[in-house]
Amino acid sequence: MGAVNRHDADLATGVARGERQALAALFENYSGVVKSVAFRVLRDEALAEDVVQDTFVTFWKAPHRFDPDRGSLRTYLLTIAHRRAVDIVRSEESRSRRQLLPPDPHHFDVEDEVWTRSLGDHVRDALSQLAEGEREAIAMAYFAGLSYVEVARRLGVPEGTIKSRIRSGMRKLASTLEEVAS
Amino acid sequence: MSHEDIFELVPLYALDALDGDEQAEVEAHVGHCDECAQELSRHRAVAATFTADETAPTGVWERIVAEIESGVTVAEPTDIDSAHRRGSRSPLWMTAVAAALALVLGVVTVVQRQELAEMAGPQGIIAAAEDAAATPGAIVGDFTTESGVVGRVILTPDGEGYILPTDLEPLPSDRTYQLWVITSDEVVISAGVLGNDPGPARFTWTGEVAGFALTREVAGGVMSSAGDVVSVVET
Repeated sequence: MGAVNRHDADLATGVARGERQALAALFENYSGVVKSVAFRVLRDEALAEDVVQDTFVTFWKAPHRFDPDRGSLRTYLLTIAHRRAVDIVRSEESRSRRQLLPPDPHHFDVEDEVWTRSLGDHVRDALSQLAEGEREAIAMAYFAGLSYVEVARRLGVPEGTIKSRIRSGMRKLASTLEEVAS
Repeated sequence: MSHEDIFELVPLYALDALDGDEQAEVEAHVGHCDECAQELSRHRAVAATFTADETAPTGVWERIVAEIESGVTVAEPTDIDSAHRRGSRSPLWMTAVAAALALVLGVVTVVQRQELAEMAGPQGIIAAAEDAAATPGAIVGDFTTESGVVGRVILTPDGEGYILPTDLEPLPSDRTYQLWVITSDEVVISAGVLGNDPGPARFTWTGEVAGFALTREVAGGVMSSAGDVVSVVET
């Protein structure tokens, strides 16, 4: 990792100095994708916007926690946002607010297609190389905010199987995307 | 868990697909294991490709500015966080809290264990706190002053903690409230910096607890309390 976007690095430094315009520039660049990941998990506009707000305020309050040697700023912000969204989706209150039943496996037949259509070609190609079970387990965990234990329960397969599918799928994706990047 | 066991869980952690003890163990391990931290970076980069860029939402920037200016959000002091990352333990006196607890603390140690920066929106935190309070074995205590209850602290046996201020006087912008855990070993540990007009926030703490203290400190939080104790809860 460690591929540092120079512009992002400058903006992160600006935020660390307390420059609000630097945060505004980051918001302009990344709030869309941050909201997108939050919405995919939460399926609620208002909650997703709360996550956007939390994500950027968190970065404003503690910019030093971003380590450019550990990945891009985009990845860092998405990591914060996804964790926030998962925290919310696992709370009972949000379930009632969303008034949606937790997604069932069949939901992902459609969801998965929408998901891959929205991605770049190289990501889509990488995903196409995964086994269906790997894609399904990764999608259920990431986009429904489910733990692997819960994914296993809903699919009716052993927890160890889901762990293996997620692990092998993520490793294949990492290798493929690294090859593309190089 | 061994390093090998944790390494195998890193891809799941990157997707936030762990919870409970497994999540906590991986989180703690990657903080000091370069190999696992590198692996986590790889998988987080993968997860970041799962979402396509979209245009910025409207109205949210204004809310962010308002929140930043209000100082309501949970803050985290750089110096404490750095100490936390190094796992250092800094000795100091915290006599006011000691007196309030009627404990002979002597030299106590303050360690930043967890910050209160994990936010999920006030309503989400309140709802989660209510659930936590109903958990069997949960510690629930009220911070009280002469004017009555000013806040509630909740800690589940799993280490999930919440602070719910109810009637705390807003402080000037150069001051902040700070939450402390007092362990049964008479160690006082900063659980987080709450800001000058705090809202509900969460923290995590595993281990025995003898009490909690709420203090007023300089903005940004401190390693060593000046001893301006608002209230103490004994458990």
